[in-house]
Amino acid sequence: MKQDIILAGVGGQGILTIAENISSAALARGLEVKQAEVHGMSQRGGAVQSHLRLSDQPIYSDTVGLGHADLVIAAEPLESLRYTQYLTEQGMLLTSSSAFVNIGNYPPIESVLEKVARWPRHCLVDADRIARAAGSGRAANIVMLGAASLFVKIEPRELEEAVATRFASKGARVVEVNRRAFRFGRNAAQAYLAGLASGGTSVAVRHWIEKLSTEHLARPEPPDAPVFDPLNVGEGLTAAESHAVENALLHAHEEHRPLFEHEVYQIVQLVGAIDPPHHVFLEPEALISEEQLAQFPGEQVVLKIVSPQLTHKSDAQGVVFVPKRYDLVRAEIDRFLAHHRKHAEVRGVLVVEYVEQAASGFGRELFVGIRATREFGPVIAAGLGGVDTEYLANKMRPGLAVAKAVAADLRAEDFLELFKSTVAYEILAGKVRGHKRIVADGELLRCFRAFIHLAQRFCVDRGEEGPDLAELEVNPFAFRENGLVPLDGRARLATAAKGRPARPIEKLGSMLEPKSIAVLGASATAVNFGRIILRNVVEAGFDREHLYAIKEGLRELDGVRCVPSLNDVPDRIDLLVVAAGAEQLPQLVKQAIDSGKVQSVILVPGGVGETEGSSELVEQVQAAIAKGRTRAGGGPVFLGPNSLGVLSRPGRYDTLFIPASRLDKRIGAPARKVAILSQSGAFIITRLSNLETLDPAFAVSIGNQLDVTVSDLLAAVGKRADIDVIGLYAEGFNDLDGLALLRQIAAVTATGKDVILYKAGRTESGRSAAAGHTASVAGDYDICQAAAEQAGAIVVDTFKEFEQLLELCTALHDKQVSGVRLGVVSNAGFETVGMADAVLGQRYRVEIAKLGEDTSARLRRGLESNGLGRIVNARNPIDLTPMANEAMYEEATRALLEADEVDAVIVGIVPLTAMLRTVPGELESDDALPARLSRLFAHSKKPLVAVVDSGPAYEPLVRALRRAGLPVFRSSDQAVRSLGRYVTARASA
Amino acid sequence: MTGRAHADYLALGGDEVVMSMKLLLGDGAVAQAAIDAGIAGAFAYPGTPATEIFEYIAEHAQPLGLSANWSANEKVAYEEALGMSYVGRRAIVSMKHVGLNVAADPFMNSALTGINGGLVLAVADDPGMHSSQNEQDSRYYGDFAQVPVFEPATQQEAYDFTLRAFEYSEQVGLPVMVRLVTRLCHSRANVRLLDDKRVVEQRPRPTGNNWTLVPSIARARYSALVEAQPRLLDDAQKSPLNKLRLAGRRGVIACGIAHNYLLEANDGPGDLSILQIGQYPVPATLVRELIGHCDDILVAEDGYPFVERKLLGVLGVPGKRIRGRLSGDLPATGELSSDLLASAIGLPARATKTHDGLAARPPQLCRGCPHIDSFKAIIDATTGGDAPFLFSDIGCYTLGVMPPYRAVHTCVDMGSSIAMAHGAARAGAYPVLCTIGDSTFAHSGMTPLIGAVQQDANMTVLILDNSTTAMTGAQDSLTSGSRLVDVVRGLGVKPEHLHIIDPHPSHHAESVEVIRKAVAHRGLSVIIAERECIHLKVKNKAEAEHAAQVSS
Repeated sequence: MKQDIILAGVGGQGILTIAENISSAALARGLEVKQAEVHGMSQRGGAVQSHLRLSDQPIYSDTVGLGHADLVIAAEPLESLRYTQYLTEQGMLLTSSSAFVNIGNYPPIESVLEKVARWPRHCLVDADRIARAAGSGRAANIVMLGAASLFVKIEPRELEEAVATRFASKGARVVEVNRRAFRFGRNAAQAYLAGLASGGTSVAVRHWIEKLSTEHLARPEPPDAPVFDPLNVGEGLTAAESHAVENALLHAHEEHRPLFEHEVYQIVQLVGAIDPPHHVFLEPEALISEEQLAQFPGEQVVLKIVSPQLTHKSDAQGVVFVPKRYDLVRAEIDRFLAHHRKHAEVRGVLVVEYVEQAASGFGRELFVGIRATREFGPVIAAGLGGVDTEYLANKMRPGLAVAKAVAADLRAEDFLELFKSTVAYEILAGKVRGHKRIVADGELLRCFRAFIHLAQRFCVDRGEEGPDLAELEVNPFAFRENGLVPLDGRARLATAAKGRPARPIEKLGSMLEPKSIAVLGASATAVNFGRIILRNVVEAGFDREHLYAIKEGLRELDGVRCVPSLNDVPDRIDLLVVAAGAEQLPQLVKQAIDSGKVQSVILVPGGVGETEGSSELVEQVQAAIAKGRTRAGGGPVFLGPNSLGVLSRPGRYDTLFIPASRLDKRIGAPARKVAILSQSGAFIITRLSNLETLDPAFAVSIGNQLDVTVSDLLAAVGKRADIDVIGLYAEGFNDLDGLALLRQIAAVTATGKDVILYKAGRTESGRSAAAGHTASVAGDYDICQAAAEQAGAIVVDTFKEFEQLLELCTALHDKQVSGVRLGVVSNAGFETVGMADAVLGQRYRVEIAKLGEDTSARLRRGLESNGLGRIVNARNPIDLTPMANEAMYEEATRALLEADEVDAVIVGIVPLTAMLRTVPGELESDDALPARLSRLFAHSKKPLVAVVDSGPAYEPLVRALRRAGLPVFRSSDQAVRSLGRYVTARASA
Repeated sequence: MTGRAHADYLALGGDEVVMSMKLLLGDGAVAQAAIDAGIAGAFAYPGTPATEIFEYIAEHAQPLGLSANWSANEKVAYEEALGMSYVGRRAIVSMKHVGLNVAADPFMNSALTGINGGLVLAVADDPGMHSSQNEQDSRYYGDFAQVPVFEPATQQEAYDFTLRAFEYSEQVGLPVMVRLVTRLCHSRANVRLLDDKRVVEQRPRPTGNNWTLVPSIARARYSALVEAQPRLLDDAQKSPLNKLRLAGRRGVIACGIAHNYLLEANDGPGDLSILQIGQYPVPATLVRELIGHCDDILVAEDGYPFVERKLLGVLGVPGKRIRGRLSGDLPATGELSSDLLASAIGLPARATKTHDGLAARPPQLCRGCPHIDSFKAIIDATTGGDAPFLFSDIGCYTLGVMPPYRAVHTCVDMGSSIAMAHGAARAGAYPVLCTIGDSTFAHSGMTPLIGAVQQDANMTVLILDNSTTAMTGAQDSLTSGSRLVDVVRGLGVKPEHLHIIDPHPSHHAESVEVIRKAVAHRGLSVIIAERECIHLKVKNKAEAEHAAQVSS
């Protein structure tokens, strides 16, 4: 038996301990051992190696000859490659995949691992992560020893005993951790080999192992490898990439400062996003050598000052260009340093290659940034780069200057599609006259993918794992040879937002359609909120058998049975309405939880969490709810506080504490398949008042989201068969709830339902002086708008639009929308012209349909038979003139609805003409427009809307049309805008 | 190696010798042998790769009642060991090769005075300069002083030869040098140890005044040393440490560790005739025998071509091919290896695969090292004026020469920074600064400082006090903290020109100001930059935690 081993790593990684353990196990076996260490000048952080030779025969040399080693054990991947010349043809290259990044030019980590993986026999183990899983990050070397036990010709048991003996003096816990590290390492290595054997690529196998639980690693036998799909290599950063980036972040983290440009380059290089320009970072006292300078391509170099105080280097004369001559560069560095030291804390000079760009000028620079937002988690933005990024982003139509998206569930391919609609792409891809393509889509995709992966891994709360990335951006990228070259970059660290634990939202079903309700806080002597609620519930027709008022000393109130306390309610309480004073909330919440019988609660009181001094109350309530969550079933769900209440037609109850005299809620009307969910109660009642025939199945005032959130309710409502359309009004989100909402919107709209969102609060919370471009061009509001649309919602900018789209969506839900070509009928010229003018809006694009010969002929015939052939042109939009009567209207509308080239029709009615029956008394006729249009609407699969642009005298006409089921607008251009938004959204869904 | 052969080396005879096994570094084997030989004390100044010899003994010293404390420098260490020998006890003194330059004075003269208790000098050479300024070969020193030199090839030999060196030292009344090389020092192997440790009695005081080298006595002693040489040669020629094996017509003289590389390359002796040298003077009769038998002789020695040069002399060996470092068959410089030996004996090299262009990972100052801040302060304080002359010394801070710093212009020998700076100041250079560590200052910095004080030389001395001898693994430093301040004051440095700074980023501005003022002062200033080595800090913290755990 004879075995020659090379051990390699970086000073401080403990490779000598690996060697010692193998040596002592070998010695215990009676083998001959030679183990040579090489450690010289201050090798901490430098490359270290050891030669280890085992044999049952005398060993001559202390060192292993080139091409003679059976095994290389490396605690660091780059170091492993230094010693491959020692291996025999069939030698095993075993290395940790965890990079130790303490040099500025560390290559893309996956490219290093790929070189390892090309070795005929190799094995990769993520030693650092596995060591942490075993109980201590410091045991990474023992993980490697465990992995090596597969290849070292000594019984694993004996090696493990050597480990136990080695650590015996440090106590039982340390021994146990190291034993675990040993076994985990052995299992991980075995799993890796098994994964390769079952056809996985190195990356795919590592992704698989990364997902194995600690329990898997702890089993005596390694896990069975799955059959690998060669096309699916796993998504996201590899563990090795993530580890390397973490390493690269540590320095800035420890110094509590933003990252410097070269550190940003290092990160994007590590994950293989792009190749940075050649650069050397020099500390103030450092000297560039002639050899270093000679390595720079080109005729000149760029010097950039590195200082935590100078984030905008160009503005502070922190960038100079110098001819590439040694004496000049040295002199300029000295001058440059001396100059900037007068006003800033200077950390050094970055010497960068001068990049000869493929093109320059407007649109030839690209910006790509990622950031962690509080509400939506990781976000990515890309678009026109350079110093004007913000200016252009703010001046151009949304989506045109900068593409932005929430990165959490994003695929790079989808982001590239978004990016393709920006001006930047059109110029870069040579789609604009006078431009040639200067970047390949593949390069953009590679860059976006790496940035998205970085965002998904680092722009999120990573708990104890390490520092979170608040923001990282490269602005600008320049281009050469169809590739991207970063010219500046910045990043900073901060703790990312952390989401709250999930709520038991299945209980929201009990809230929406309760079988029993208890109301707490109704006054017997005055008409307080509680009393109004009680009456409204009764009024809405809720079964009194299962309705209770919690009230001591009273048997009955407004015909409702009173019980002294929650515990006296004989039923399970599906819904408890708490209308007591805010100060009683903590105690009442606790009672509701303790009773064990309450499923859901509406907390009515306001002023909790909104006013000064109420934070203590909030904390108490939250603490009580959190405690309830630890019980079986998780306790009730809580809506509010500051909830105006819930109106539920399917549940036959109404707790909106607005008396019937103030708002006719038409409680008896059949429910339409629409729900309104709003953070503001007043917003709901205002909409109900305006849209008097909307008759939503549910209207929920969500309040302050202390427990249940907007997205929870969207989930609960969105899955109901009696809901097709949901209108959402949101002001702000708890941490990461914005992201939860986006995910919910995507889930709901994927089932064919419509979600309309009004997001209030457009002042930018994400913007601050210290923030970079990303925060400016992808602030929280912009992101919400862009991402909600990407998720499938229709995002509206005005309350009017909210109402109109809610009306459109509800009325048109069953219609088919196959395109954006509008047919327009009116009896007023200004309306037809105005509607044609409105086809291009900020966030929609529709067309006026070009009529085919058949349709034109049909229209002509209709016009002629109605005597209008001479004065009306048979074209679209069709101006019927005030001479047109209802029959003409019907004929023209039908012709357009039935034309293949038309996708939706708008009928404009100027009702002041004597030719039409538009005032009460005439309206009800079966020949009047409401009846005629109602029939057309019912029979057509295409959207049909009406416009009545007239004064209060014609309210009855409007009302009649609405009762007939048609959406009605009060101005024609508004109709095009809203229908435009609607058909654009539907057609692209 | 069998127990029998082992016993032969020790001239102990018989099968009754009991052995146990231990995995030891070459350094550890020397140290264990010294312990087993019954030394009363060990003496050393840290220096890679010899440091672990002393450390091993120090670790085992207490229960054995051995004296083991670091000395201020190698000269002092040698003299302390010599004193111990004079009173009749065995002693070992260990150092790296350049340390022997410092200790050369007592070493040379101890050959004349002779010794009483066995005195072994273990000196570690550094072929390939893994962590040294040169690769000088200590066998020349042995030859120069005319004392016996033992050169082990393996860890086992390191143990056996050292044991024998003590016996032999007493037999011939001379110090014996054990010559080691880095690879042997820093490589572990199984070593069979003597189990019946003997107690060595204190030897009686010899009569007559042999140790006072006044000319009349010195002349007599030198004659005696010269007269002893034939015996030393004869002993070497008969020594079991030198082994001649005659086989084919191709011969190799393999000194010390080169023998390992030879056997590795050739997979055993094979048909080669081999003279393995482990004891000097060079065993002339054995050499003649080998040369008589062979036509082609390769001389393989890790270090200078010491034996090769002796063989060739001025005239060479007519009719024979003598090959080695001088002939170019082995490289003129650097460490030997089995690969080099393979090619020298004509074996083909193995094809190997390598990845080119890997990013290098050069040594660097540790994160959190106080020297980083000292260098930054020096640079900041001297920027803007005339370019300073920055003299430095030997220690971690020598890394100030590497990127990203440029704060070191010289590094020659221990303690030289102050003297060189003084010389430069005397030439009118300005500004002149020098940096020296606390341990290096104790080693050889005090003497030149006395001169600079006396001359009030226009220079600024920065003593970088990190409380330890960091570079060699954080050994104790003799002068640090308040003791260092007392010493510097005691050497006559004026209190108003003695400053103490804390080289920490948070005190950067103050440090810069102090240095700037000191440089502006036209005369001698001394600044002590006082901050603990980051490793010492970590180590101390870990020890404190461990102690707390144990007590609780």
